Amino acid sequence: MAQFDEKISKDQFEPAIIDASTSERISKPSLNYWQDAWLRVRKNKGAIVSLVVIGFLIIMALIGPSLSKFDSNKQNTKHANLPPRIEALENISWLPFDGTRTLKNGNVVNPYEQKQIEEYYWFGTDALGRDQFSRVWKGTQISLYIAFLAAFIDMVIGVTFGAVSGYFGGRVDNIMQRIIEVLSGIPNLVIVILMIIVLKPGIISITVALTITGWVSMARVIRAQVLKLKNQEFVLASRTLGASHAKIIFKHLLPNLAGVIIINTMFSIPNAIFFEAFLSFIGLGLQDPLASLGTLIDEGFRAMIAFPYQMLVPAIVISVVMIAFNMIADGLRDALDPKMRD
Amino acid sequence: METKKKLLEIRNLKQYFNIGKPNEVRAVDGISFDIYEGETLGLVGESGCGKSTTGRTIIRLYDATDGEVLYDGVNVHGKKSKEELKSFNHKMQMIFQDPYASLNPRMKVSDVIAEGMDIHGLAKTKEERMNKVYELLETVGLNKEHANRYPHEFSGGQRQRIGIARALAVDPDFIIADEPISALDVSIQAQVVNLMKKLQKEKGLTYLFIAHDLSMVKYISDRIGVMYFGKLVELAPAEELYNNPKHPYTQSLLSAIPLPDPISERSRKRKTYDPKMHNYQADETVELREVSPGHFVLCSEKEFAQYKK
Amino acid sequence: MSKILEVNNLNISFHTFAGEVKAIRGVNFHLNKGETLAIVGESGSGKSVTTKAIMRLLPESNSEIKEGEILFDGKDLTKLTDKQMQGIRGKEISMIFQDPMTSLNPTMTVGKQIMEPIIKHQNMSKSAAKQRAIELLKLVGIPMAEERFKQYPHQFSGGMRQRVVIAIALACNPQILIADEPTTALDVTIQAQILELMKDLQKKIDTSIIFITHDLGVVANVADRVAVMYGGRIIEIGTVDEIFYNPQHPYTWGLISSMPDLDTAEDELYAIPGSPPDLLNPPKGDAFAPRNEYAMKIDLEQEPPMFKVSDTHYAATWLLHPDAPKVEPPAAVIKRREMYPGFNNK
Repeated sequence: MAQFDEKISKDQFEPAIIDASTSERISKPSLNYWQDAWLRVRKNKGAIVSLVVIGFLIIMALIGPSLSKFDSNKQNTKHANLPPRIEALENISWLPFDGTRTLKNGNVVNPYEQKQIEEYYWFGTDALGRDQFSRVWKGTQISLYIAFLAAFIDMVIGVTFGAVSGYFGGRVDNIMQRIIEVLSGIPNLVIVILMIIVLKPGIISITVALTITGWVSMARVIRAQVLKLKNQEFVLASRTLGASHAKIIFKHLLPNLAGVIIINTMFSIPNAIFFEAFLSFIGLGLQDPLASLGTLIDEGFRAMIAFPYQMLVPAIVISVVMIAFNMIADGLRDALDPKMRD
Repeated sequence: METKKKLLEIRNLKQYFNIGKPNEVRAVDGISFDIYEGETLGLVGESGCGKSTTGRTIIRLYDATDGEVLYDGVNVHGKKSKEELKSFNHKMQMIFQDPYASLNPRMKVSDVIAEGMDIHGLAKTKEERMNKVYELLETVGLNKEHANRYPHEFSGGQRQRIGIARALAVDPDFIIADEPISALDVSIQAQVVNLMKKLQKEKGLTYLFIAHDLSMVKYISDRIGVMYFGKLVELAPAEELYNNPKHPYTQSLLSAIPLPDPISERSRKRKTYDPKMHNYQADETVELREVSPGHFVLCSEKEFAQYKK
Repeated sequence: MSKILEVNNLNISFHTFAGEVKAIRGVNFHLNKGETLAIVGESGSGKSVTTKAIMRLLPESNSEIKEGEILFDGKDLTKLTDKQMQGIRGKEISMIFQDPMTSLNPTMTVGKQIMEPIIKHQNMSKSAAKQRAIELLKLVGIPMAEERFKQYPHQFSGGMRQRVVIAIALACNPQILIADEPTTALDVTIQAQILELMKDLQKKIDTSIIFITHDLGVVANVADRVAVMYGGRIIEIGTVDEIFYNPQHPYTWGLISSMPDLDTAEDELYAIPGSPPDLLNPPKGDAFAPRNEYAMKIDLEQEPPMFKVSDTHYAATWLLHPDAPKVEPPAAVIKRREMYPGFNNK
């Protein structure tokens, strides 16, 4: 079986000098958890595209209202219900930005020419003549604000509650779990409606209404993870070294929960946006003149047949936001979930 | 052996779980033994026999149901002040079984090792802390470059050595090694065992070595205790236990270990153990009795007479 | 003895984030009818990957058989369709996994799980299959088989479950049984029973067994022949006596010497330094060279071929080259050679 294609010179059989220290060398570059996770996210094209889309939407939500010459709250009844018209794009016939609209009988009219309006309303105007462009971005801004705030509060309460409940266990856990069961036993909508009636509808009251039950799922996930982690040997090791409870929670448990927390928060943001829109749509949400994507859709819905663009634009924005957040969350779950690691 | 100082005395230690419920488990059911300074006591038995629970109860990871653990004459269990607890944690350390679960994946190796030093304030400055970490890494056969890496970049054997360095960081006298090699590859086990022996010689450590691999235990231990269902059934010097096992369970356990020797394997006769074979009567007291100097067996009066022959 | 399975020049790679991992790098071996071949090696040496490749159980998404063939019954298993493979899995070749706790379905009675492959592969009627299942339970030494037949896996202890797993694997009288660390999760006394049972069954039904393990004691107990794997290659293969009493490869020397037997009293165990190789970028030359105290210059340059020691014994180490210097193996190996002087050592 031993065959030699080539002659091997004798000096090749002298002992080799092996550097003992190299045997312990690690050739892989040192990557921490987040760098490693980033490598994984980067491979997920959907998540990256979504990340760019969300980035764009957030920027637009911040600067969008000031890009337009018109204030989002300024009413101009003379300019009511104008269709979208954009400079330069108005001459491209297949784009809906030429300022015309089709009537029920099939006639195409141009309200801008009829009313002799020089201004360009990029997304048109609503029934009160307010600029839709600035209103849509203002609405996005408020929707995102409510969602981020709600998700953040959910996170803080949920993580604290879940971690305490799971870590201390026993009676503490028993009592805290009963509280959660009672809370999740009451239908969500009932609590929210009661909250809105008690508090005046507004950004804060909606946020509070969203968070009052929203943290429960976070708390449950965190509790389950803590129950698993607290018996891991590295936590036991820390206990044998004499670490305090606070140290164990902050140094050992929370860093290992970070992935789960982020994933859960990322999923709760689109949920909050959607729930807020739903509340606005059924009339429990923000009141005029405040605009959120939900109220915009609600208003647009009333004039849907005559002026579809009034509903279409905010509906597209909210859909894109929802899809993008869900895709990012999905990508993060694949990247951060310890079970997916090899 | 008699002149040696007792470092640890375990007296009638009991650890029950789910007390009073139908699923009560008597994981450790009244065991007593001493550990002398500088020796290695091996504790063997099959899964579920309570050997790991014994280790964890000794170091207070569980609160003992009953009994006491005297360290240098002082009881470790019961209500203790923070200072007292810290001093126990200082003297007593533990090495864990699973090298993949025993290091926090989010901490750098330097922080893992320095954790004990941070808790006990053993390093005054950052520089001193890092120097100590480097020193410990070298002690366990790793080097400086490893300090800034994360646990998942290491192999099982390397991780286990990091776990040892973490335990050594607080300069303990007594280390409980809870199956430290059973998750490692054969070629790596010897490295870890050699390291533990070297450290024992250099630092005068005392070990409680918990394992189910009997040939390694025999090699590293001075004395060996065999556990069966929460009870210590036999305790003897390592040589004596292997050459002259008295308790039928020990005999069955010894006959079951396959040896890396095909010739002796071919002629191996296995013994089985059935607890009913003792046929203890209600009025017999079954306790640990010394059949020959240093050799204890769990037996009744009648068996005792037999074993002594 | 006729060859029942032949693996030729098998190369398998995994595609990971960090790059291509060459898990198997040119593996050759064969299995004779009725024998037990033990494959030993550390984790990551490729022993499990090799057997999973035989069963075609490697994840298709990230693994790739780059080269080589697996010949069984005149067919190359690497080229079969999934459908054809299903006809072989469980019928001609079956497998026992490490963990008896997870290899049974907890929601199905034990009896149903044994009947499943019988009905699928042998077109038996239900009642005949049931008869056969009870027979199998008796065969693997489960008392009160008729009652046990109706029970669920959680009602069995670990050792009993592994017996059930063996019964399922044997249900269709397979020609080859692949056992992937079947006793690692069990206690020593239970392990002894299972090993006893497997040897006993092999005599009764004449299957060939590939037994994967890292425990040399188990190997000594069950194997007829032994293949030692390291870094994705077989570095030494021979009969069990040849491997244990006349090992040639420095890695085998290290493995054997690093296990204390019951009368080792030396102050220090022989330990192989370092850690297993990183197959993401395997070292040039012999993968074991960086840990090998007997390494020669050529080890760092060129991978050694298989040198013939006897008709049944081959080892991949340059030490067997006629030009290589004579070296003194570790003391434990010399002791073993003396224990069994039947080999004329060169």
